Amino acid sequence: MSKQTSDHQLEDWQTSIDAARLEKCPQSVMEMIPYASFIGAEAKLENDRLLYWLDKRPSNIGNPSLPALHGGVIGGFLELAAAVEIIYSLDIAAVPKVVDFSLDYLRAGRYKTTYAKCHILRQGKKLINVTASAWQDDENIPIATARCHFLI
Amino acid sequence: MAFDMTMALFRPALKYAMEKNGHGKTLGLQMTEINRGEINLVFPYREDVVGNPLTGVVHGGVIVSLLDTACGSAAMTVLNTPAVAPTMDLRLDYMHPAEPNKPIYVEAKVYRQTSNVIFCRGLAWQEDKENPIAHCVANFMKVDSKSINFSAIAVTQLRRLMPWGRRASSDKAGDK
Repeated sequence: MSKQTSDHQLEDWQTSIDAARLEKCPQSVMEMIPYASFIGAEAKLENDRLLYWLDKRPSNIGNPSLPALHGGVIGGFLELAAAVEIIYSLDIAAVPKVVDFSLDYLRAGRYKTTYAKCHILRQGKKLINVTASAWQDDENIPIATARCHFLI
Repeated sequence: MAFDMTMALFRPALKYAMEKNGHGKTLGLQMTEINRGEINLVFPYREDVVGNPLTGVVHGGVIVSLLDTACGSAAMTVLNTPAVAPTMDLRLDYMHPAEPNKPIYVEAKVYRQTSNVIFCRGLAWQEDKENPIAHCVANFMKVDSKSINFSAIAVTQLRRLMPWGRRASSDKAGDK
């Protein structure tokens, strides 16, 4: 079974995104992506900026002895945050495609709520550059930073 | 190659740690090959990790998790002394989106190690290894783990496996 994107589906997608923007509810964009609920990522508007967070849950643990979050979950969370940032804040009629993703781990992600914020550094005709940073207790003490390129 | 006793002992432990714990268990990945400096794993397709609901393509975050797990495990296999290898950085290039309903194969190799750093390469593909979906490089620090208290970890691990330990945590979940 292969799912081809039809114009109809894309229209539905666009309608839902427009509704989310109108209601100022980035969480409903998040809920449209199955991977978000798989890791438990959520989003909200805070002072006109998008704030993402990931509540602690056992299925996101990478090293059970510390316990620490799985590095891949932190990466996935930041990539998801970057994608939602683009979908919610830019007017694009498609799901952005990630081209590359670069992640620096600065500290171990402890087993607690993780937050993230993104910056869209450049939006070109084809390419968008986004940075994302994740922290736990203090926004000034990040646990990881990421940079990614998306094609539209 | 001569029989590698350390690897023979380490292999089941690593397989257990990656497949039966936390996020590895949740993803349902399977380690198919564990050798010194080389890891192969497979991830069967599942619908709840889709990133693009219009096409059914798995989210890039899953590929990050798979490659991070594979590279991290490969880095662990080259440690000779009790040490841990936290990830320093990871860079991923997506060559083309993964096709839905097909398993993803991942291979990771340690291609260089120095006294402080382990350099790894990883590849993810579906049907054709020559036409990969993603390529990554990841670097790991060698950190001496003399400070880690292994007996305390063993006790915590055992407690988690015990039925009463598990019941206590599920009660908590039920209260919510």
